[in-house]
Amino acid sequence: MEALRNAFDFSDFPRLDLTIAAVVALFLLTFPAFPHSAFAMATMIQFLMFSLYGMGWNTIGGYGGQVDLGKAQYVGIGAYTTAVMLIRWDIPFWVSMPIGMCFAVIWSFIIGYPLFRLKGHYFAIATIATSLVLKDLFEVWGFVGAAMGLEISPIKYSPPDFLRLIFKEDIYYYYVILGFFFLGILYVNWFRRSRLGFQLRAIKNNEEVARSLGINVHWAKIKTYAIATAFVSLVGSFHACYIKNIEPEDTMSLDISILIALMAMLGGAGSLWGPIIGASVLIPLKSYLKEWLGAQAGLIGIDLIIYGGIIMLVSAVEPRGIWGIVEKVRRRKRR
Amino acid sequence: MALLEVHSLHKDFGGLKANDDISFNMEEGELMGLIGPNGAGKTTLFNCIAGLHPVTSGQIIFGGHDITKFTAHEVARLGLARTFQVYVASGDLTVVENVMVGCFMRTRASSQAKARAEQILKDFKLLDLSDYLLIELPVAAQKRVTMATAVGTAPKMLLLDEVAAGLNPSEIEEIMATIRHIHNDLEITVMLIEHVMELVMKISDRLIVLDSGRKIAEGTPNNVAKDTNVIKAYLGERYVQEHAAELA
Repeated sequence: MEALRNAFDFSDFPRLDLTIAAVVALFLLTFPAFPHSAFAMATMIQFLMFSLYGMGWNTIGGYGGQVDLGKAQYVGIGAYTTAVMLIRWDIPFWVSMPIGMCFAVIWSFIIGYPLFRLKGHYFAIATIATSLVLKDLFEVWGFVGAAMGLEISPIKYSPPDFLRLIFKEDIYYYYVILGFFFLGILYVNWFRRSRLGFQLRAIKNNEEVARSLGINVHWAKIKTYAIATAFVSLVGSFHACYIKNIEPEDTMSLDISILIALMAMLGGAGSLWGPIIGASVLIPLKSYLKEWLGAQAGLIGIDLIIYGGIIMLVSAVEPRGIWGIVEKVRRRKRR
Repeated sequence: MALLEVHSLHKDFGGLKANDDISFNMEEGELMGLIGPNGAGKTTLFNCIAGLHPVTSGQIIFGGHDITKFTAHEVARLGLARTFQVYVASGDLTVVENVMVGCFMRTRASSQAKARAEQILKDFKLLDLSDYLLIELPVAAQKRVTMATAVGTAPKMLLLDEVAAGLNPSEIEEIMATIRHIHNDLEITVMLIEHVMELVMKISDRLIVLDSGRKIAEGTPNNVAKDTNVIKAYLGERYVQEHAAELA
């Protein structure tokens, strides 16, 4: 009961934040009513998906300070579970999604247990490695379509199919992911003030001190990693139904892992709004850059250069990202 | 029965004997000082007791439990808390949030942890500083916040590592009042490492003196101050020889 109350309790934010959040929420709810291009709609859906990825990453990477660069493997597990189950056994999204989450969480325990013996950069590199290995395995695994991947053909179903999440119009997908987006915010809002949330922040501050305050550091990290994983896997399942065409190279690539971490870091790791702010900057940037510059020969890698620039800028100016700057200014004003 | 028993504790770092055959007992309600020159092995002893270092040999018993092989968080959960000499905080947590982390050891509910943290801060006269970040505070206040955080875990016994180092006389008074509050009002058994003699001599019931990893003296502050071995450890062999007449 208290947990539910805490999830809806935003009272520790200044009124300005809440007003902005309310306006943004209203805009998101009414966005499809405004005239928009199909491209804008697709970008909005991407924005919501990546916000959720970022929120998940933020629990372990932001609040816990454990930089994880292997989130794509869980996108893959979620997406493949849903796609395989739908194609082979006609199991609807609402059943396959939690099953995918379970698979992802089990996998996260298996790799999290040894990986959290590592610290800092070593941990980050190890997460990249596991993610790449899993991707390579999926590329040769015939049961899931190997390198060709899987395709959900919508003709077999009669959209709108709310059970299987097969729609013709993007507006349905938009509202489904928007629902998850709001749930995600409520969850993270609860998490940040929960016991586990505090323990993670203490671990980020100083592991020895955290241990001497009775925190089982290793286990707290593994638990939070599982939470982050569940978020990512859920969106992965959605991704399968939305994109309908999944292959290892797209869904499990290193690019996705890095983009997830980068968004949260740019927006502000370890804050509630950070990943959303990060996604709202990077996702439109990414889509529109691809659209405008990708078509011209020779400019195809330019988005990667821009990401690199952003990483350097964030780490040099304010490691806590855009939200870190906002908080710094506020603290200075209060004095 | 003693609250804490340490039986011939050894801790080697490679060839270095950081703790060499240390034994002592502590009764419930005692306030004991642990002194000795730099490098005597005081902090190592704390780390061994608190489960941060695995011990080489020996036995540690706390409240009837053999905690020799316990990890740090298990020791803390049994009610043996500690503070750190050098506290590096990245500055993410405010004062009240720091104390809440301690309180969360005994409760799952955020509201309870918060209420308890605020009560502790009030008792420690730190409530005005609740919303500051730890790094924004002067060192004396930081040290008191770390003590409040440790108290948040509701310990039976508290190990304080150099809480008065580098403070001015009025700040030392504050720290002393805080230690007395912890010991007298909260009835927590306290063991403290301290170089500030006016504090440790005034406040301790009993002292243990370490030098080069070995226990060289144990007793009341007055007796320890007259102990030839202790004077030798602090002032050197020659001083003792030259002043033999006065010391006798």
